[in-house]
Amino acid sequence: MVGAKRQSNIITYIILILGLLLIVIPMYITLVTAFKSTEQSSVSYFTLPNPIYLDSFKEILSSERYYYAFGNTVYVTAFVLLGNLIIMPPMSYAMARKMPTSRAYRYMYYFLLLGIFIPFQVKMMPLVKLLSMLDMLHPTGMSILCISSSTCESVFLLVGYMSAIPKDMEEAAYIDGASTFLTYRTIVFPLLKPMLATLLIRQGLWMWNDFMLPLVTLNRSWKYWTLTLFQYNFQTDYAVDYSMTFSTFVMSMLPILIFYCFMQKHIIGGLTTGAVKS
Amino acid sequence: MKKGSHTRAANREQNRTFALFTIPGFLLYCAFFITPVLMGIYYSLTDWDGITRNYNFIGVENYGKIFSNKQFLGSLLFTFQYTFFLIVFTIVLGVALALLLNRHIKGLSFFRAMYFFPAVLSGLTVGLIFKQLFYHVVPVIGQALHIEALSQNPLADPVLAMWSILFVALWQGLPIPMLLFLAGLQSIPTDLYEAAALDGASAWQRFRTITVPFLMPVLSVVLVLTLKSGLMVFDYIMSMTEGGPGTATQSVAYMIYIHGFTQNKYAQSIAEAIVIGIIIALISAVQIYFTNRKKAV
Repeated sequence: MVGAKRQSNIITYIILILGLLLIVIPMYITLVTAFKSTEQSSVSYFTLPNPIYLDSFKEILSSERYYYAFGNTVYVTAFVLLGNLIIMPPMSYAMARKMPTSRAYRYMYYFLLLGIFIPFQVKMMPLVKLLSMLDMLHPTGMSILCISSSTCESVFLLVGYMSAIPKDMEEAAYIDGASTFLTYRTIVFPLLKPMLATLLIRQGLWMWNDFMLPLVTLNRSWKYWTLTLFQYNFQTDYAVDYSMTFSTFVMSMLPILIFYCFMQKHIIGGLTTGAVKS
Repeated sequence: MKKGSHTRAANREQNRTFALFTIPGFLLYCAFFITPVLMGIYYSLTDWDGITRNYNFIGVENYGKIFSNKQFLGSLLFTFQYTFFLIVFTIVLGVALALLLNRHIKGLSFFRAMYFFPAVLSGLTVGLIFKQLFYHVVPVIGQALHIEALSQNPLADPVLAMWSILFVALWQGLPIPMLLFLAGLQSIPTDLYEAAALDGASAWQRFRTITVPFLMPVLSVVLVLTLKSGLMVFDYIMSMTEGGPGTATQSVAYMIYIHGFTQNKYAQSIAEAIVIGIIIALISAVQIYFTNRKKAV
């Protein structure tokens, strides 16, 4: 019995390690190719760089476009997260507390949920028209749009979470004469924090990695590029320069990698709990 | 009496604040979510090319055209095929990996962290990386191992291209379902297994009668998530094949994009988007209906 268990454990490890290799090898090749000159890479993709070749990184780091792309990505991500943080929790609080008694709020909630069923492509083309009519085809305009696109998911998750929080503490605050806003700020908002963390991580990653929306709204001037657009547009410029191609990948993944190293538990938790609820 | 008027004033204050809380988000939603959807429905009934000033109202002609259009049917077929295999592999491999990770082995958190990493990357970056690997590295491996099919770029082969895209989608898309299944497995009380083993149930019987029922709620979540990501696949297509070779990997989302933005078939592409949107909405609604009913029972 013990022998059988050990044997099956060994098989488990072998399969898990094979899976690990499948994940690590593409990342390894990306990393070493970025640090090799194109001649070195054409000899072999698998060897370590010898000598280490840094010219591609120097070129990217001296390129204005990279800094613009990086700055824009940080900007839109921060803008959307901040907007969400300001708009969604109070809205969900009001809806969660009014829905049991008010029909108007109930209908509004169903109206918001409708959005979950509508894929982005359905509104994509009219949206671009709408944004161009309003002169909003720039990072700020796109961020405002993203805040509105995230309404459904945010409200759905937050209202679900709110309904499970007992009202006792709020009612105590009201009896003590606190205004609704004060009650929200001092009691409700802190209680929402765990769900907000989940939500912000999901939306942060979504904004940082999104490609389709920037492609249709921001691909008109390189000053508006995000990191994904930067990579997409650069791959055509550097089609034969392997070192340059892979360096742009590394430079684009680096911020996420650092974030993942420090926030790994929160990210995994955020992406999995959010998925179950939505 | 005094107390009553005080409550009424407080209620009024609360109603006002709640309205203020709700209005900004609701207006944003109406302006940038509902408006474009309504605009889209309107445009889909015209023959607008997206540029000229004038267009005619042609009713449902665009919708009729779609279903007699070989290109649309072809990309619908590719998308359904791709989604079907994506769902099958996601569920089979996701459950298998979750079962392995659930064996109380050492280094679980290490494996989990490593396996999860692809999920935080951008689909576009992953697609572009694998495009390079398929182009330059896979043929080297294929030649070294004398595998005929892999000795050239698989993305250039009409049949292998879909499987290559599937491989990449699974490489990046498996971690989340895997962890969802793992959470489902960890919610099963272990004494159930012990009791079943005492009753002489075989490993397969235990899996079928205990594990599978406990995984059903997670399974339906994974099903919907995978279904949506499969039917709307865009980033991988755009970064790896651009619909090629020929139109072999032209997904619906990609076709909508090129029709709308590069071929001036504005109204037609919106009609295509609405059709696929209705398909997705119907599938999600059916799924939610069945999950809710199961919970009620």
